[in-house]
Amino acid sequence: MSGQNRIADGGRDADEPLLPVEKRLIGWSLVAGLVLLGALVWLSYTFFPAS
Amino acid sequence: MTPTGHAAKAATGTQTVAQATSAGHVAPVIGEDWLSVWIGLFIFVLSLGVLAGLDLLGWGITTNVWTSLDKALAPVSKAYAALPGVGSLVLTYAFLLVVMSCGALALRIPIARFAGGFTFVFWASYVCWIVGSWAYIAATSDKLKAFGIPWSLNLTAEAGFLVALVAGLLVGNLFPGAIDATRDAIRPEWYIKTAIVILGGFLGVTAAERLGLATAVMFRGLCAIIEAYLIYWAIVYFVARRYFGLSREWAAPLASGISICGVSAAIATASAIRARPIVPIVISSLVVVFSCVELLILPFLAQGFLYDEPMVAGGWMGLAVKTDGAAVASGAITDALIRAKALAVQGVKYQEGWMVGTTTTVKVFIDIFIGVWAFILAVIWTSVIDRRPGERARAGQIWERFPKFVIGYVVTFLVVLGVGLAAPALVAKAKAAMAEANAFRGIFFVMTFFSIGALSNIRNLWAEGIGKLAAIYVVCLFGFIIWIGLAVSWIFFHGIRPPLATG
Repeated sequence: MSGQNRIADGGRDADEPLLPVEKRLIGWSLVAGLVLLGALVWLSYTFFPAS
Repeated sequence: MTPTGHAAKAATGTQTVAQATSAGHVAPVIGEDWLSVWIGLFIFVLSLGVLAGLDLLGWGITTNVWTSLDKALAPVSKAYAALPGVGSLVLTYAFLLVVMSCGALALRIPIARFAGGFTFVFWASYVCWIVGSWAYIAATSDKLKAFGIPWSLNLTAEAGFLVALVAGLLVGNLFPGAIDATRDAIRPEWYIKTAIVILGGFLGVTAAERLGLATAVMFRGLCAIIEAYLIYWAIVYFVARRYFGLSREWAAPLASGISICGVSAAIATASAIRARPIVPIVISSLVVVFSCVELLILPFLAQGFLYDEPMVAGGWMGLAVKTDGAAVASGAITDALIRAKALAVQGVKYQEGWMVGTTTTVKVFIDIFIGVWAFILAVIWTSVIDRRPGERARAGQIWERFPKFVIGYVVTFLVVLGVGLAAPALVAKAKAAMAEANAFRGIFFVMTFFSIGALSNIRNLWAEGIGKLAAIYVVCLFGFIIWIGLAVSWIFFHGIRPPLATG
């Protein structure tokens, strides 16, 4: 099965460098994630304190 | 074919990809997701009879911690105390066989094959539960004197789940023929989704008593969405692409499988980026295997150093353990282990259910965005990375990929919460009703554990050459996912403790 060789090879047909859109997806995800986590911490402790 | 089915085929290697994708099965009447909702709601509604004075499920079986086997089994309701434990167990089996066989019919599974397989899964799982409830394994420290034993492993009755997991692993890896013969009924996703629908009512009655705390926990559960989709996914994708040289076709589903919610996320992502069928099949199998590893390690780790922060432990299980089944199961074990340890070390007796409730909340929040994430990836892939003329991602895909069992969970949760808030006098009856439904939830749980183990044929997966994917999984899971999950759970849940149990 050709799929097996591809898996063993890390699924690589040919070199696929990271495209700018992939870099943007990764970068924006991380930045948005960190910002939103900060916002959520503030909202949680401000409006939904758990005592 | 269900996600579980995909994983199963790959895990056992009994069917080629071509066969798996062109088997030409008759389309089921209803999807496994919706079926979980209806079966869960059916049991939930029957249990609500208690509110009207009708004890419709009280004959259901419960397993007690035991030193003498004849004390192990009993009906869940005192109203059926005259019914022998074995009779209650047989009744429970017969009831579930009928209900699940109706479900199998709807899924277009040959009924005789399903009934045989279900019988095997039910009895194998229940024997494991009984074994795990032996007092030397399960008794908590405050009960040693009552049982007249000098020591126990202090694992609580949930040890039966671990026994079932190990038994499933042994059967799946040593006797794959037995699994092939019963495969139609080895459906952990179906069982756990049904259990989660029932669990909603149990958590609803818990929340009705402490609404403020429940609201805070639910809001904090939102952190899981951000963490899974925006942080985990991005890092795993980057590591897989940059340092392991994976193609996009493998890296994106793998990132979803490791970061979001295992099987269903891997399949949704693979579909969104139009990966070949082999991709989600192999990744799903890998996810199931690693879920077993997490399930066996993390709850004990949590018991070891988080018994003073129970809700952090609950949130951690939801953030770190992949697949719904393994995550909620880990939450249930963590709940039991930490309550046992807190009682033994601190003399504190926490109310049952708050930790597994936190795990479930976190997991449900993660699940509901799978469709949105798959849609975003579909837009990027179809518009930039893999552009083909005339192709566009459809917004309807979000609903198609929405995990429908979440609806059942929310409905049972809100119904019981509403009853508790509108009529506080009914809370005691609602508790009794949910205790009856919960007995069935426990059975679905233990069958989930056994099924997860049974589907994890490690030898065949290795033979398929997925060592590299496994290496990425290990690096990401143990390198940062578990620890970021712990850190985020700590930030959001530290200092919050479950209410104390009375009595």
